[in-house]
Amino acid sequence: MSASASRESVLKRIRASLAGSSAARARFAESARRNSAAELRAGTEVLLEIPRDYARKGEMTLAERCARFVERLREYDAEVVECAPDGLAAAIAAQLKASGRRTFVAPSGLPAEWLASGFEWMIDGNLEVRDVERADGVVTACFCGVAESGTIVLHHGPAEGRRVISLLPDWHLCVVRAGQVVETLPEYFDRCQMSGIRGQKNREQQADELPRLVTWIAGPSATADIEMTRIKGVHGPRFLNVILVQD
Amino acid sequence: MSAVSDHPILDPALAPPFPVAALPVLRNVQLRKNVAHAIDVIQAKRARLVAEKTDWQELRTAAAAIKDETLANLPAYLEQFEERCTTAGGQVHWAADAAEARRIVLEILREEKADEVIKIKTMTSAEIQLNPFLEDAGIRAHETDLAEIILQLGQGEPSHIVVPALHVNRSQVREIFARAMGIKDLSDDPKALTAAARNYLRKKFLTVPTAISGANFLVAETGGVAVVESEGNGRMCLTLPRTMITLAGIEKIVPRFADLEVMLQMLARSATGERMSPYTSLWTGVTPGDGPERFHVVLLDNGRSSILANKTERQTLRCIRCAACMNTCPVYRQTGGHAYGSVYPGPIGAILTPQLQELKHAQSLPFASSLCGACYEVCPVKINIPEILIDLRAKVTDQERRTAGKFTDPMYLGLRVANLIFSRAWMFHCAQRMARIGLRVFTRRDGWIHALPSVGAKWTQTRDLRGLPKQTFHEWWEKTGNKRTRESGIEEVEAR
Repeated sequence: MSASASRESVLKRIRASLAGSSAARARFAESARRNSAAELRAGTEVLLEIPRDYARKGEMTLAERCARFVERLREYDAEVVECAPDGLAAAIAAQLKASGRRTFVAPSGLPAEWLASGFEWMIDGNLEVRDVERADGVVTACFCGVAESGTIVLHHGPAEGRRVISLLPDWHLCVVRAGQVVETLPEYFDRCQMSGIRGQKNREQQADELPRLVTWIAGPSATADIEMTRIKGVHGPRFLNVILVQD
Repeated sequence: MSAVSDHPILDPALAPPFPVAALPVLRNVQLRKNVAHAIDVIQAKRARLVAEKTDWQELRTAAAAIKDETLANLPAYLEQFEERCTTAGGQVHWAADAAEARRIVLEILREEKADEVIKIKTMTSAEIQLNPFLEDAGIRAHETDLAEIILQLGQGEPSHIVVPALHVNRSQVREIFARAMGIKDLSDDPKALTAAARNYLRKKFLTVPTAISGANFLVAETGGVAVVESEGNGRMCLTLPRTMITLAGIEKIVPRFADLEVMLQMLARSATGERMSPYTSLWTGVTPGDGPERFHVVLLDNGRSSILANKTERQTLRCIRCAACMNTCPVYRQTGGHAYGSVYPGPIGAILTPQLQELKHAQSLPFASSLCGACYEVCPVKINIPEILIDLRAKVTDQERRTAGKFTDPMYLGLRVANLIFSRAWMFHCAQRMARIGLRVFTRRDGWIHALPSVGAKWTQTRDLRGLPKQTFHEWWEKTGNKRTRESGIEEVEAR
């Protein structure tokens, strides 16, 4: 079958199946009319409203949110330190030193003051994979932190870097500002929409501004494939360190 | 080693019926122990993390509604996904069946001049039996998920959709790795075994330029694809190769980017008992400078469109492959996955496999359940599996009724006779009396029947039967109850 013929045949089969069942549903609706309104609704073709009664907005204060975020990260075996905004550069330097590592990758948009002296830095423009592989660690910013699940979200912007640089090095230091921490996952999705919508736009334009690349990170890489024993560190970074900036 | 080398058949067209396939497993004590241990661990973690979500039921309702809306409007969402993905630099292919999907993947790989390919765990590729097909075409497929490596190197078959090697224990893994990787003094510590896999694969990740993945979600609104994983092997495959092929069932669509806020809260909790899996990746087409230069999506039908026709059965396609149903299933716990004769085992397999086969194969699977309903209770997208099982049982029975054997099969004859007897009271009473006399010989002093001859043995082989009581309720009523009522007729009137 040619490519477009397969496409048409798949779509045609789906449409035929859906049409066939509309007739069945019409019969169901007819019988339901004699029964209850609830059953009739159940038989309606398209659910126009998705019932979104789950927790969308968090209820915690900023401090509680941050505490929860730290607690959940630590449950994943991530190492977390907190610092004040003016202590950030020092905190980064301390983390790098404590890691005992020398060579670090930094995304091109990482603030210059984060590049602590005394270490070898590789600034990513278009680094070769083998160079990234050679690095001992990586330092990045992030787009958002989700307290409830202890998740760090990267959109791979200039300060977060290309996906490969936070993947190959064995040690990842991520800087999260307290203002970036939301309580629930739906609040992260709200932030994505808000960062996109400026003024009135149609849906297609909104979709254009949604992130094209996202990596949600919940702790260092892990597996439980052998007898369900959790082993930290498989292919992704074995160590995840987080600095939470109380701004 | 028997757990791995028994070689189960997971092609529904060739696999023996469930009761036959289950027997060797039931006799394999080691395998049952491995399965039970793994399931106990997952179940305990899952129970704790689901309980912590106070809005779990609301999430389930939303997730089911999102999937229902998707399926009711599937053509529109598929076309929207295709359009958005293409705009973003991806190329979308449509495959009506397994053979076509395999051919499309092979053509892309030939164009890339690939002789090997790295893979992220994808059940869809197992469904279409892609690896042996590529092997025959001279292309080596390297699985990169730890469990999948264990199975590939040990020539085993998956027995679970999330932790496919849960039936293999550490000493078996050690044996497989030591042999296949040529490591002499490998310990059976999971940490050492994991490290061995990491070293074994590192070079493959850095050198093989083509990769194949599955998809957890396809986002119609943006054309994005999401993959959820733990080890980072997924991120390697998604990021390092030059060309990336994603194989996804047509039901993997979610309409909006924000719908992931529901799905991502449920999937990891339900699957592995984690708040979120370590890595969830989403990418949209091709991003210059970041990741593959060429990206293909193969949308696979392979029997799915026919499942849409019936509204009850359609629920099957809500599935997000979390495996909570098999982890909770009392049948799966005893038999493990191989008995289901399909890459999709457990309760979801029992409804999905026969439907994907359009009931031409795997007809025994809808009967591989006690209908206890535990699977429905845990399902994050509220698939009423028992309801579908019963529906499919009816279909299988209808199918059998149309076959020539219906006049000779003792079960059909028996049911016909029963049908006749149950329709007339005098025949029913008569049959009761005859059964009582007939069964008296077999009833032991303890009131139980332990063994019946001929067809009846099928029942008593595995369970005892209560002997019939000395009188039926009707008889007792005639003798005592009815008389008493007549005597106390006045009270009865007053009571009214």
